[in-house]
Amino acid sequence: MGGRPMASPEFFLELRDISKRFPGVVANDGISLAVRSGEIHALVGENGAGKSTLMKILYGLYQPDEGEIAIRGTPVRIDGPRRALELGIGMVHQHFMLIPVFTVAENVILGSEPTSGGRLASAKAIAQIEALTKQYDFDLNPRERVANLSVGEQQRVEIIKVLYRGAELLILDEPTAVLVPQEVEELFVNLRRLREQGKTIIFISHILDEVLAIADRVTVLRRGRVVGTVAAKETTKGQLAEMMVGRPVLLQVTRPEITPGEVRLAVEGLTVRGAHGRPVVRDVTLAVRRGEIYGIAGVQGNGQTELVEAIVGLRPIASGAVRVDGTDVTRAGTGRVRMAGLAHIPEDRHHRGLALPMQVRENLVLGHHHRGLFTKGPILDLAEIDAFARGRIRDYDIRSPSTTTPTLALSGGNQQKVIVAREFAFAPGVLLAAHPTRGLDIGATEFVWRQLMEAKAQGMAVLLVSADLDEILSLSDRIGVMYRGELVAELAPGEASPQELGLYMTGTKRASAEPAAG
Amino acid sequence: MRSSARFALLQAAALGLAILFGALAGSVILLAIDQNPLYVYPLMVRFNLARIDSIVAIFYRATPLLLAGLATALAFRANLFNIGVEGQYYVGAVAAAFVGFTVAGLPRLVHLPLTILAGVLAGMLWALLPIVLKLRRGAHEVITTIMMNAIAGALVLYLLEPGLLRDPAQAGTPRVRTPDILPSALMPLLHSALRAIGLEIPSSSRLNWFLPLGIALCVFFYWVLRRWRFGFEVRAVAHNPSAAEAAGISTQRVQFYTFLLSGGVAGLVGLSDTLAFFGYFDIDFPKGYGFLGISIALLAKNNPLGVVAAALFIAFLDRGAQGVQVFAGAPREVITILQGLIILAIVVGYELLTRYIRAQRKREAQVAPPLAPALAATGEGGE
Repeated sequence: MGGRPMASPEFFLELRDISKRFPGVVANDGISLAVRSGEIHALVGENGAGKSTLMKILYGLYQPDEGEIAIRGTPVRIDGPRRALELGIGMVHQHFMLIPVFTVAENVILGSEPTSGGRLASAKAIAQIEALTKQYDFDLNPRERVANLSVGEQQRVEIIKVLYRGAELLILDEPTAVLVPQEVEELFVNLRRLREQGKTIIFISHILDEVLAIADRVTVLRRGRVVGTVAAKETTKGQLAEMMVGRPVLLQVTRPEITPGEVRLAVEGLTVRGAHGRPVVRDVTLAVRRGEIYGIAGVQGNGQTELVEAIVGLRPIASGAVRVDGTDVTRAGTGRVRMAGLAHIPEDRHHRGLALPMQVRENLVLGHHHRGLFTKGPILDLAEIDAFARGRIRDYDIRSPSTTTPTLALSGGNQQKVIVAREFAFAPGVLLAAHPTRGLDIGATEFVWRQLMEAKAQGMAVLLVSADLDEILSLSDRIGVMYRGELVAELAPGEASPQELGLYMTGTKRASAEPAAG
Repeated sequence: MRSSARFALLQAAALGLAILFGALAGSVILLAIDQNPLYVYPLMVRFNLARIDSIVAIFYRATPLLLAGLATALAFRANLFNIGVEGQYYVGAVAAAFVGFTVAGLPRLVHLPLTILAGVLAGMLWALLPIVLKLRRGAHEVITTIMMNAIAGALVLYLLEPGLLRDPAQAGTPRVRTPDILPSALMPLLHSALRAIGLEIPSSSRLNWFLPLGIALCVFFYWVLRRWRFGFEVRAVAHNPSAAEAAGISTQRVQFYTFLLSGGVAGLVGLSDTLAFFGYFDIDFPKGYGFLGISIALLAKNNPLGVVAAALFIAFLDRGAQGVQVFAGAPREVITILQGLIILAIVVGYELLTRYIRAQRKREAQVAPPLAPALAATGEGGE
């Protein structure tokens, strides 16, 4: 990227040092990005890398705390989606915003209907839309009802919608997530056609094959920062994967040398089916032993989430078995899995981790609340709960004004500490930590890492899932790589370079996994 | 702690403002029909509070209302919309009446509890189908409970056909009702108990033990929601079902039991009228408590203690409407409009206040020092 991009009409859009912070989380940290006129520019990065925050800033939904946006070399202030459209920025949302009973034409003109004498000028609208579909070679009948269209066709309607409003820059947010492969091909044909006609496109994705197939240049984001911008022709999947998930090691952890003991978590032949009956976890076998951290690496969306949720009992298991400390907990239900000694740091703290409106002390006992310590018959022992919460708040340095503060008032890092403090209580034997440091700042990340080391030292078996390759490499005693639902490799940290892991993660290379091998 | 006292004060102020706003809006309507609000409102307050029969009538009216409010609020607390309290109380009242006039020869100590239990079980039964359909098949409870209301309305009419529950002794008269409930199943009135503490109430009043029972239930469920393990799980499920599940709580189980409890309380709603006023169930049995219960739950923000206050408030306005109609010649519908306006004002006012308090709390937490001296030096980086 060299230095500061020069303001020149060569670039349709320039972002300079854009920063956006939320309590405890830096979503965008000095992002600079220049998109050339008439190029397809891909933006890649894991969940939480800051892509969606950046796009919301571009679309006027957020204001950056710092930095400058320029369109065609002129600095602009975007204070809302309407302003963004005036500037020629159009967003094609991942979730379509179409009315099924309306026709294509009616959906396209919705919100900016052409009228003649107060009446809707339908014929005019249809003519305009036909002109657009002809110009860009879109296969679309404006008179067809949206309810009768395939998903790919609906997406075309969304694209026509922003073109109709005069967009010069189209932002496509994960456009292929909802498409079948043939539809992806058609979308790419359409996008190339748009580029020929001089439109500029930002293509957001984390599927590297697609990015390399369609983009001219690729910018990689990680932890709110730009890792780099590369020409698609001059890069490889492996290199992009490494840029996406690796990071310069900022933190040092001393990994205590512990001889792993007996197997505490055993997963055997686990298969989990997704929404359409397709297996999303295929025949995964692994064993995590006392005092060991088993890291699972992989590009997001390759079955890691489903693997963790199936082990915890939050997702039905199609076949296979899960054992915690020798107890079979396959299909036992989350309550019993937890009772068997399994703790879980969920990947999304707001979704699975915390009931945000509830008090800090209530969240600290959530899942422990039925323990004899906290109950007198059917009644909760608030004095005991408060004493426990005070202890946790002290030991884990949770910054909270009181034990009864609503958890939503805490910063992101402190909310994560509440979860860690809760999950480490009552000496669990097995810990599942899914993306435990995602979205956290350096201080909170270091805290979580130290806690994981502590867990190891106490004899827990830790299954660590992370999209952050350096996190995996610094913490793990063994590393399994997941690709398309399968465990494609199992290695010791010394055995593999990040480059080699990148090859496994992208499916370029595979080794037969040797489960439970020393 | 100091700030929570401040928030409670704010809440009281918001309530006062909302009532004031409703009264002001009502004034506009009164002025439009050539009534002087400065005459009508004081008249209403005087009529309601200066007469013992008014006060007693307000408490009598509040009895079914607070039970209906509690039933609705309980379901709301588990993110369930029980619109079916209306139907659940019809069925409960018929079932209680049935046990009340058929089971003879029991002492009151057995017969009355049995009769009440019949009402509770019938209410639960009427809630059972909607909740099973929701949890097993995903049918929305708003739709199914509304359907169940229609079925309940038709069912109780059908049950009053001759040869079913219709009183044969009333054959040939236009009265469509069940036989008289046996004295052993009637709810005793409060007169003697009140006399014992020096309060004399008019002998015409039907104020009965369902009032203290209803208030006790509200207090009990307040306690359950705040302090019981079950109440904790209800709150966790309401605030974040995904996190509750991840903590090992069965959200389905919690929703199932909460909905049945709601139906059971709903089964009690009609019993004050059945077992202490009419002494039978008839075709003109009072309707609409279930829908008022929704307003009451809304006013009370689903807090069981608030339900008592909200029910008394609605009963107060109802009674006032009668006074205004008789002594000021203003149509009572004006007061009904006033009720609606106040409820709207309170709901909107509370929402604004809740947002304000949340923002304040967030600000406090961001500048808070740790509870105890930090053991480790590392807290939030970069600050």
